[in-house]
Amino acid sequence: VSRRKTSEPEIASSLIKKIFSHYVKMPVARDAFKIVQKCSEKYFMQLSNDLEAYIHHAGRKTVEMEDLEVLMRRQGLVTDKMPLHVLIERYFPLEYRKLLIPVAASGNSVIPSK
Amino acid sequence: MEATEEERLLLTQRLKAAVHYTVGCLCQDVAEDKDVQFTKQTIAAISEITFRQCDNFAKDLEMFARHAKRSTVTTEDVKLLARRSNSLLKYITQKSEELASSNMEQKEKKKKKSSAAKGGKIPGEQEAAVNESEDSNMA
Repeated sequence: VSRRKTSEPEIASSLIKKIFSHYVKMPVARDAFKIVQKCSEKYFMQLSNDLEAYIHHAGRKTVEMEDLEVLMRRQGLVTDKMPLHVLIERYFPLEYRKLLIPVAASGNSVIPSK
Repeated sequence: MEATEEERLLLTQRLKAAVHYTVGCLCQDVAEDKDVQFTKQTIAAISEITFRQCDNFAKDLEMFARHAKRSTVTTEDVKLLARRSNSLLKYITQKSEELASSNMEQKEKKKKKSSAAKGGKIPGEQEAAVNESEDSNMA
């Protein structure tokens, strides 16, 4: 389970630009965007290192949802007052939300099945 | 542990006082070593920081132990807690190795099968807290 597909070694700079300018709500210089991109690269490096440590700690070889939750708790994003589901609902588009949050469907089945 | 509000407050105050005293002793050592003076407010501030940091530590350690499907906090969890700071991780690893070797020696001395499992949790945690209050180089 990864937050975004990063088949290439980096996220498209236009996407980073879009997201950053959406949240910053003020004009941003060109070199500032370059720095933001560098930071996001570093962020992903750190992310993978942390996740590796966490799955190793749990004695697994696969990253799972709970590892992400531990990571975000450690980063202070997920707290007792701010559960992961709320963050998903707040920041994810609907189609991703459907994939991540279990939804009761007809025939006594829950989607996703996990 | 079911404690009423008053008892809880008393316990918290006792804990804080103990932390404050220890921090005072440590600050005295540093003061003699580095030839500086600590105001009372500084020592109080450091002890408050230490206290709250321990709160965070406790919650994180609990989470790490639960993540590994354990209900007991071990040295592994403490190492994971100190992962972010390289020097701290080195220090903690060294300390835990020392503890492990001393435990082994004790076991060999006793030559008993039924030795109570002594987790190196509390010393490790204290070391972390002490290290924290000494140089506080945690990101």
